[in-house]
Amino acid sequence: MEKIKIKICCGTSCFVMGSAQIQVLEFAPPADIADKIEIEESRCMNYCKNTTAKYNRGPFVLVNGELIEEANFEKVVNKVREILNQEK
Amino acid sequence: MNNSLFIDVGSYQKQKNGEDCYGDTIYSKKIPEERRVISILSDGLGSGVKANILSSMTTRMAMKFMEDNADLLRSSEIMMDALPICQTRKISYATFSIVDSELEGKTRIFEMDNPHFIFIRNNKSLSIKGRKFSSPKWKERAINASQIMTQPEDRIILISDGVTQAGIGNQKYPLGWGRQGCIDYILKEIQKDPRISSQTLAQKIVEEALNKEIGKKAGDDISCICIYFRIPRKLLVLTGPPFDEDKDHEFAELVSDYDGKVAICGGTTANIVERELCLKCQIDKTSFDTQIPMSSIMEGVDLVTEGILTLTDAYRMLKEGIDRKSNVASVRLVNLLLSSDKIDFVVGTKINIAHQDPNLPMELEIRRNIVKKIFRLLQSRYLKEISVRYL
Repeated sequence: MEKIKIKICCGTSCFVMGSAQIQVLEFAPPADIADKIEIEESRCMNYCKNTTAKYNRGPFVLVNGELIEEANFEKVVNKVREILNQEK
Repeated sequence: MNNSLFIDVGSYQKQKNGEDCYGDTIYSKKIPEERRVISILSDGLGSGVKANILSSMTTRMAMKFMEDNADLLRSSEIMMDALPICQTRKISYATFSIVDSELEGKTRIFEMDNPHFIFIRNNKSLSIKGRKFSSPKWKERAINASQIMTQPEDRIILISDGVTQAGIGNQKYPLGWGRQGCIDYILKEIQKDPRISSQTLAQKIVEEALNKEIGKKAGDDISCICIYFRIPRKLLVLTGPPFDEDKDHEFAELVSDYDGKVAICGGTTANIVERELCLKCQIDKTSFDTQIPMSSIMEGVDLVTEGILTLTDAYRMLKEGIDRKSNVASVRLVNLLLSSDKIDFVVGTKINIAHQDPNLPMELEIRRNIVKKIFRLLQSRYLKEISVRYL
């Protein structure tokens, strides 16, 4: 089975809005998804600039290419579990 | 003239065991408009507060006379006359060694009663013959004047007699460590690390002298000044995307054309360079930290970091000292800045609107301001040569 790709934006605004907490996935992922994910950090992915939203909706995370706005640890883990459940 | 040398001056001192203040005084000064650097080491009679007063008076006076290019014989007479007379010994006395270096290569050295300076070229200690003279008033106090045309990688080391006499009286060093012992040690250290900075070398010499002393207790004030002549180590710091997108390529080419080290501070900036120069850039996971974004690795570039947060943290550490692990991006940036002599900043002035969102939990500086703070500090406290260009 292919691993689920998680891309975390570590640009300035995403970082101050909490992307460092999402990076914890790399070092201490929940046991059930630990061997099913592949994490990649990225410099600014430009989602903060190319937006029509009035306020910054970071941190931005891509899970298998799908964008999660205002991401946090739970949101990303839930998304991963959702994809895993669909695959079953 | 662009082929001038950079003069790296470093010093370290240890006071006599039991004393609160140093009996030796070290004083260095840069005179940018004359392209000169003057360093003075003086050893006051005795130790403690009394010696400190004598030696600091001597260095301050000597510095003033040197700056004004006053006649040395006359100046030294004035200095000797001005020093207060010690009540127990009934004499006034402080030694001095003065190194007056011009960036174009001429260096003059004046010494009175300190151990003779050590001059190192091509990893060998060369002895320099000076000219001796004394004033009719103080015949027994001869001044030794020498002149050297310095070359890159030359070093001049001044030591107080606390270094040469370290360990005097113990079995291994009945006559002290000696000047030759000190030279052998310096040559060994330079062989180990040919690019060793003056500060580190001075500290090593003083600590080694202290090791010779019985119980590591200094029997006299131990002081050392190291002067290292070198071709400036250059660093280019690129931060922020250019205001005009059409200039992206010109901006990126600064990296490939530069003849020195390069640091890129900014995610978008790194993306531009990566795109324009077709270089690969990957995040370096070993630099993980919860407060500072990770750095990246790019071919041909010495350091790639995030922008504002890293720069703000680097500024704080330049002011207050390094308090994070050595692998963190901002610490790497500080170390790179401090190990360079000439730093060129190129600042892209485009503002990221997303950073101005009032909901962001942390104070985010405007790039121009934080860069201005950093280069002012580097200029005033660390004596670096700085240039800034906005694009």
